[in-house]
Amino acid sequence: MAINPVPDHVPPEMVRDFSLFTSPGMPPTPNGDPHAAVACAHDGPPIFYSPYNTQDGRGTWVITRAADQRKVLQDTETFSSHRSIFSSILGETWPTIPLELDPPAHGAFRSLLSPLLSPKRVTALEPAVRERAIALIDRITASATSCDVMKDFAFPFTVSIFLRFLGLPDQGLDTFVGWAKDLLHGDDVERPVAARKIVAFIDELATNRRKDPVDDLMTFIVQAQIEGRRLTDGEIRGIGVLVFVAGLDTVAAAIGFDLAYLARNLKDQELLRSEPARILLATEELLRAYPPIQLIRVATKDIDFEGAPIRKGDYVSCATMIANRDPEEFESPNTVDLAREHNRHAAFGYGPHRCLGSHLARREIVIGLEEWLARIPTFRIKEGTAPITCGGHVFGIENLILDWS
Amino acid sequence: MRIIVHNAKCQGHARCWAQAPDIFKLDDDGYILPGDIQVAEGEQLLASQGARSCPERALEVDRTSAARFEPAAMQPRTGEA
Ligand code: HEM
Ligand code: SF4
Repeated sequence: MAINPVPDHVPPEMVRDFSLFTSPGMPPTPNGDPHAAVACAHDGPPIFYSPYNTQDGRGTWVITRAADQRKVLQDTETFSSHRSIFSSILGETWPTIPLELDPPAHGAFRSLLSPLLSPKRVTALEPAVRERAIALIDRITASATSCDVMKDFAFPFTVSIFLRFLGLPDQGLDTFVGWAKDLLHGDDVERPVAARKIVAFIDELATNRRKDPVDDLMTFIVQAQIEGRRLTDGEIRGIGVLVFVAGLDTVAAAIGFDLAYLARNLKDQELLRSEPARILLATEELLRAYPPIQLIRVATKDIDFEGAPIRKGDYVSCATMIANRDPEEFESPNTVDLAREHNRHAAFGYGPHRCLGSHLARREIVIGLEEWLARIPTFRIKEGTAPITCGGHVFGIENLILDWS
Repeated sequence: MRIIVHNAKCQGHARCWAQAPDIFKLDDDGYILPGDIQVAEGEQLLASQGARSCPERALEVDRTSAARFEPAAMQPRTGEA
């Protein structure tokens, strides 16, 4: 992987040896706490330059304060989302939609999708979500007093809900999880292979739904109109790929980090188990403390932003895990306080690209925790095992073996 | 008390609604409906909590509830006018 040299316009004193990919705690680490590891970004200047801060080794400005991230993410004219994160893996430049479109084009696609994931729609999905959680947990407790939470619960739970939403059968689950894993955490060979499989899969699904429409998301997309016309094949692919990738890994990672926290903090675990009404608020705090995503923008023009000489074409990183540990925004940011109020965390981003799936994701996490705590007695990390965490574009956790024997 | 709604800033987080669904009404996409919100007596705490939960700072609490009873026309005018 090539590291781009630090551009001339970046003052040397603004360069910091910090990276969401290579700093301590970012590569796969047993018993790691990557979110706490990045909190050190607040020890220095509020904005600095990291010479290696994307999957493909590019440098980015790093915006550490929540207030500044809000400014960047709300100002889509200066900070564009068009950066082909997915298609660049294939050496291509098409945008995933709506994620990598800027307003005004962004708006039409976003309006198309928002009703499908609105708070009302999600409320209607709730019984199915709860049923799925209960079925999975009952299956686990029927035969064991320990399990691999990611494999046995977090992934099957979140991905099957998501597949139902997309209109895909559950049989594909392991294959899809494998693709997502290779795409997000794989090496330079695995990532393009996974990306190509996902594209081929989405293209084929679109072709099938055009021929034989059913009641699902892909049928909706191939039949939809914006501005009085049907969507192009490229647009359909852009939406399909994004929705596929956006929902596969994120919720599972969040649930994994949350359960790992509770396994290590038995007082909090007991509090939520004995007073489940607290889970709603606690989920917000866990989203604050353990959010999975780094957001990237590209400067469309030269701008001196809060003292940083950002130039056209520069990458700007708004890592939600850094904003969420900003001492100017959150009192005692490194303390997890499950009763924290007025918790305006950045887990779902700010501005026009605010996560469209946030209402669904929240429900899934709340329901997952409610049913897990109601059905599983006091659980800990299984002795002799160590969960493995990693940083990167999307933070992750695996080998999380919980034990309640 | 009233809540000033800055619709352009609303991005549909629906956090206000999650706090107080009867005060903060959303459209079908989950964005707040246009128009400032007059808060009834007794709902002020809930309303201000809802406003404070907006990640985009789209909701502004206006506590000068007397303001609307003092239209400009009734105020003594001074100066050049
Ligand atoms: C805990 C789980 C999740 C987290 C933390 C999360 C986080 C985010 C963030 C931070 C963004 C903004 C990206 C940017 O501005 O560049 C985003 C966008 C998006 N997310 Fe999520 N997400 C989650 C789950 C989901 C799920 C389950 C879905 C789908 C059902 C979803 C669908 C989307 C879509 C469609 C966008 C693009 C919105 C746009 O560009 O207008 N997300 N997500
Ligand atoms: S919390 Fe803010 S952004 Fe969200 S719906 Fe309410 S007003 Fe809109």
